[in-house]
Amino acid sequence: MTAVAVHGVGTSHFGRQPERDLVSLAFEAVREAFDDAGVSAIDAVWVGTVFGPAGMAQRVLRAMGITRVPVVTVENACASGTTAFLEAHEAVRTGRYGRVLALGLEQMSVAFSGAITPEPTDPEGRGGLALPALYAMSASRYLHLGLVTKEQLAAVSVKNHAHALHNPRAQYSGSYTTDDVLGSRMIADPLTLLQCCPTSDGAAAAVLGPATGAPRQVAVRGLAMRSGAPWNSGSPHVWGYDIVRDTAADAFAAAGLDAVTDVDVVEVHDAFTIGEIVTTEALGLVPPGAGGKAAAEGTTALGGAVPVNPSGGLLSRGHPLGATGLAQVAEIVWQLRGEAGGRQVDGARLGVVETMGGGVSALDGNACVVAVLEAP
Amino acid sequence: MSPVITVDTRMEDSGDGRWRVTGVRCPSCGAAAPYAWPRCPSCGGEAEPAVFGPEGTVWSSTVVRIPVADRTPPYALAYVDLDDGPRILAHLPADWPNDRVPPIGSRVRLTDLSAEGDLQVEVLQ
Repeated sequence: MTAVAVHGVGTSHFGRQPERDLVSLAFEAVREAFDDAGVSAIDAVWVGTVFGPAGMAQRVLRAMGITRVPVVTVENACASGTTAFLEAHEAVRTGRYGRVLALGLEQMSVAFSGAITPEPTDPEGRGGLALPALYAMSASRYLHLGLVTKEQLAAVSVKNHAHALHNPRAQYSGSYTTDDVLGSRMIADPLTLLQCCPTSDGAAAAVLGPATGAPRQVAVRGLAMRSGAPWNSGSPHVWGYDIVRDTAADAFAAAGLDAVTDVDVVEVHDAFTIGEIVTTEALGLVPPGAGGKAAAEGTTALGGAVPVNPSGGLLSRGHPLGATGLAQVAEIVWQLRGEAGGRQVDGARLGVVETMGGGVSALDGNACVVAVLEAP
Repeated sequence: MSPVITVDTRMEDSGDGRWRVTGVRCPSCGAAAPYAWPRCPSCGGEAEPAVFGPEGTVWSSTVVRIPVADRTPPYALAYVDLDDGPRILAHLPADWPNDRVPPIGSRVRLTDLSAEGDLQVEVLQ
């Protein structure tokens, strides 16, 4: 098997960009990734996207002269981009293709004015439980059990918005206090507007190929993906905890990590504040029930012991669904190369990406992808 | 039109004025699901038809304050663990204040479907 490295990454700007088209967003990301990798052609493409029409990937790729090569589109809800990354990695690892592009893209602003309309053939979708309300159920449960406080929930938003001040590609560019977060409009109790990711448009890309030891290559040390198990009263955990914990265990084993404490920098799926808290616990970055405290005390902030979401995360960078996973990958690659500017985690050697897609009734998630990346 | 992936959770009135959710239970692993599925989602074993309820406990709850599809906010929702049954999503009846979060841990009982066709639970005092 071939050892695989990320040769280059790129992203568009993230934000509401209804005046742009997908070609423009995707080209911004692909051109940067190609330049970064020093390539002008690839052997195959995996595209992660959720809401596009059939044939969207080929329609977008033709505009940048990427034709004839195999193109595969994958959909795994919010984890579509990291699923494309995982499959591109596997294609290189097994020798199926030499150099592969993973591309994630989404234009949400033209499709939704607010929350994503949930699938109407599930009871949740038919009954009006949109994703903010699903995460609100987790937050309510955590509050009820005393595992988090409202102020600790808000601390995740305050922290990630502060991180985004150093990310010129981020959707948000303002500072927010705990009072601002808790005082913003209630979306689904107890989650307020500033605890929810915004509606975003964007694209992100990575070029993967064999690891040759070139100085700017970031090694892919381990990867894993799972779909969710049935979620019911048999689990003591809130929605999404078990799938993240189990996928992370697979990825850390694949990476040969003795302990997650070896990790220097992490990008996780903070679509809602409670999501980051639950995920940091499920990944083992903090003890169970300590995720809120870690955010409030700065443990997971830049300068803390385990910086989480230095990019600003989904809450602040933005969350164009299919693009998100590859935006997370790009951030970790920049961090491991020491190219993250004002949000750089000093001396970061080992980074983790976690993306979690959900919404299927009765399951603990549609898909979770966890990747472990290592500095050159 | 979208494809119909799976039929929605159905309720039945057992003739005693008590409402129950129909679904399946797995004789192998005991898992319960509020759907008429052919196999157990947990272990893949052959599933057998079962009915659940009418009573259960609120596992968590929220009030939705944004419009979702054709719904008019606010409205309360609860995930309810039916006794010896599956976790279901339920609305609260028309006499429940629409901006009040149902307390977690409350004992609840299925009522008939709402005008919109939703599963509903009433909070028992």
